[in-house]
This record gives sequence, C-alpha cells and structure tokens, in this order.
Amino acid sequence: MPITEILPRDIAVPVAHPLHSPGARVQLRHAGRSFGGNRVLADLDLEVAPGEFLSIVGKSGCGKSTLLRLIAGLDQPSSGSVLVDGVAANRAGDRLRLMFQEPRLLPWASVADNVAVGLRTGPDPEAVAEALRAVELGDKAGFWPAQLSGGQRQRAALARALVSHPGLLLLDEPLGALDALTRLTMQKLIRNMHERAGFTAVLVTHDVSEAVALSDRIIVLGRGGILSETRIARDRPHTAAELAEIEAGILDAIFAA
Amino acid sequence: MSLAETLNRARFAGWRPGLPSAQSLLPYAVPAAILLLWELAGATGYLSDTVMPRPSTILATGARMTASGELVNHLGVSAARALAGLVVGGGIGFALGVANGVSRRSELLTDTTLQMVRNIPHLALIPLVILWFGIGEGAKLFLVALGVFFPIYLNTLHGIRNVDPQLIEMGRAYGMNGRTLFRRVVLPGALPSIFVGLRYGLGIMWLTLIVAETLSASSGLGYMAMQAREFMVLDVVVLAILLYAALGKLADTLTRALERRVLKWSPAYANH
Repeated sequence: MPITEILPRDIAVPVAHPLHSPGARVQLRHAGRSFGGNRVLADLDLEVAPGEFLSIVGKSGCGKSTLLRLIAGLDQPSSGSVLVDGVAANRAGDRLRLMFQEPRLLPWASVADNVAVGLRTGPDPEAVAEALRAVELGDKAGFWPAQLSGGQRQRAALARALVSHPGLLLLDEPLGALDALTRLTMQKLIRNMHERAGFTAVLVTHDVSEAVALSDRIIVLGRGGILSETRIARDRPHTAAELAEIEAGILDAIFAA
Repeated sequence: MSLAETLNRARFAGWRPGLPSAQSLLPYAVPAAILLLWELAGATGYLSDTVMPRPSTILATGARMTASGELVNHLGVSAARALAGLVVGGGIGFALGVANGVSRRSELLTDTTLQMVRNIPHLALIPLVILWFGIGEGAKLFLVALGVFFPIYLNTLHGIRNVDPQLIEMGRAYGMNGRTLFRRVVLPGALPSIFVGLRYGLGIMWLTLIVAETLSASSGLGYMAMQAREFMVLDVVVLAILLYAALGKLADTLTRALERRVLKWSPAYANH
C-alpha cells in the first residue's frame, strides 16, 4: 500500500517556508531581579514552549519590561536562571532577536543595510531582499529610514529581527507608537509571520486587546508574580463576543492586583 | 561606460554645461554690487586711491603679481601651512575626542588639562612660540594646529557622547562588539557634530595663520601684506585681505560639499 493512503487526508504537510525556523524554548527558574533594595521580580517560574506566542501584560511598573530584558539577555537575573534553549539568555546570541518600541534603525544606512544588521554572518543580499518582501517593503530597499512612514519603519525593524531566522522573537511594545490603523495591519503581519515561520514569540504590551489578538497564552504580571494565565486556542476563529469576554477577564485580573 | 553613454545620461538627467542658474548666482549679487559701488566711488573721486584703491587697480596688481609668480608662491606657502596645521591639529583633536568619548578613564586623565589649555587664547602664545621656534615653519604649524585642535576635539567628543543610546543598545542586542559598534553606529552618529567642528576649525585655521604670518614670517600671504605695509603699497594690502575672504569662503564651500555628500541620509541635507 502506498504510504500516502495511510496518512489521513487533512494532515497539513509542513512546507518549509523560507523564513522558517524551529522555535526556541524559554525557561525561567526562580528568576528574580532587584535594583538596589527594590525587588522588581521575585522567584518567577515560567516556561514558553517552542512556537508559542506568549504575551505579558500588567500595570506599568509590574516588571514586564524587566522580564523581557532578562529573556533578551540585556540584563542578568539577581537570582535563579533564565535559559533560552538550555543556554543562559545572555549567551543565546543570535538565536533571539528583539524588537523595540521605537524602530531604532540606523539613519545613515539604507533600509536594506539596516535589515542586514540582523544577519548572523557576512552579507547576504538575497536574504535581505526576501525579508523585505515578507514585510511588503520590497521596493524600499534603497530608501533612507527618514523617507519611510512610522509603520514602514517598524516593518523594516521587523524584517531586521527576522532576517536571520531567529528561534525567539521578543517584542517590547513594538506597536505602541503607531496609529490605530497601522497597528492593526502590523498585528496581522506579525501573527502571519509567526504562523509561517514558527518562531517562539514573547510580547510585552499594555494593550490587552493587542495581546488577545496575537497570543496563544497571556499572563498577567503583578507585584506577586504571575497573577493569572489565559490560553486562547488558535485552531478555530473566535467571535468578537468571545474575544471581548477574554479581554474583560484579563482586565479584571490586572485591576484586581 | 563609453563617453557617448555618459553624455547621454547627463543629458537625460537634465544637466546643462556652462550656464549656472539665477538661483545659484543670487548669493554673489551683494558682493558684486559692493565691488561695483566701490569701483564707481573710486572712479568719480569720492574715494581717494590713497585711502582705498579701486577693485580694478587691485585686480591689475593681482594679475601682475600672478604673472611674476610672486602671488602664487605666497599663496602656496600659506595653503601648505594651513593644511599641515589642519591635519596635525585636527588629527590629534579627532583622536583625543574619540578616545575621551569612548573611554571614561581617558577622559578623566586628559579632559581637565585640555580645558585649562583651551582657556588660554592661543595667540597669546605667540611671543613664547617665537622664542621657541624663531620665525621658522615650526611656529606656524604649532599655532595653527593648536587653534584647530579645540573645535575638532570638543565637537568630536560632544558628537560621540550624544549618539542615541537606544541605537547603541540596539547594536549590542544585535551582536555588535566594540570595534563594529564604533564603526557602524558611534562614528556615523557623531559625524554631523564632527563636521561642525571642522567648519569652525577652518575659520580658526585662517585666522591663526594670518596673524602668525603677519607677526613672524618670511613668506606667505600675511608676510606679503606686512611687507606691502612697510612700503605703503596699499593695493597689495587690500589684495591680501580680499584673498583671505575668498580662501575662507572656498574652504567653507568645500567642507559643505563634503558634508552634503557624507550626510546625505539626513533630512537636514536632503533638499540642498
């Protein structure tokens, strides 16, 4: 019997997408961070599965940005450990990429050269062109960042983050400074890229509806650590009412803190 | 590319040989008008030639001295001194600006000393410099280099200090280390400020050189003017002064052109 007949028909055969990369696993064990005597994070346990899209929400000052900086390896935990694929986050190198609230493009480099900053090894014009096409900036390669709109700049920053096929994408409120319409387009783009490329994503945001639109799982962070956890199954579409209910539940958890 | 192709491209790019536009000539309208009025005042006798020779007289003197090779000689000597002082002073200023911009320890070690030296008007050192170097080339080089040093040092330091820390954090997060980070982020970020220092330094360069040449030299434009004063040759004195203006403007124009080229990414230069 040919093997194709044993397989059920509806199994989606994974197609190797040009940007595809296996997602990284993130593990925090008893992770804590204090600044002087001020304890921002204490004894935090968190695991993000490969390919998962996790959002972290909470009031300002709850430590969500500190948490993201720990995972990015830009900051070291005072206690416990932060591992990316089993390696300390600050040594995970280019397995992870970070997108900031601002695009942070080099103003003196063309859009293509800015994207090339994200490459792991030497120049690779094809990879750069591919990444620019994926964020619909294929025709802007030779432009200066100053010639782009705010949304285009943030898309160039996304291409820079993804050009090296990272296993983990960290997003630090990357859409916070965009107008509402551009923000919706960017959300769709990020979700699309995540589904096609398969990287693990961790998003920090104060916008709960954005977290609901993008994530597989949302945690609410507060002074006492993780206050609540919500999973959103992505295998079926949700009605607006369902999404609104999820959002209301998360907001309750934030304000209960 | 063949010549025919080059010409073709130039034609399609709207390039016209020869005729500058009215717009590009506008900045020279005022100097031209002043020269014209000056000439008229001289020709009609309002302005005595013993007080202020006419532009046409000065032009004739210039032509005569160019033909004899005297003017070219003085000009060449002055230009070589200016360039040498700029390279030495500017080079040291840039190097120290970079060192103190990236290293806190280097700044602690040298900045206080440099600030003290900066507060001495460098032309006040002329008597000392003459005693040290006589009227040789060393004296001029020392003074010009010292004058050019400070604007370039200060603006390089300031430029490096003011590079957007967010870009530096981005560079580090994207795996850039010391040298790469400097080359790709810090130096390009500091360039606009370094250019401000360069343009300011060029002004000081001419000023210092002329004063130094006027007081102690045996060649150069400043010497030419001093010599002419001794013999009361007024047209040569005025010729020298006009040449300073032209040379200063030339240096500034060249720097601006370079600046526009290097900083073409900046919206501040996009429309020039």
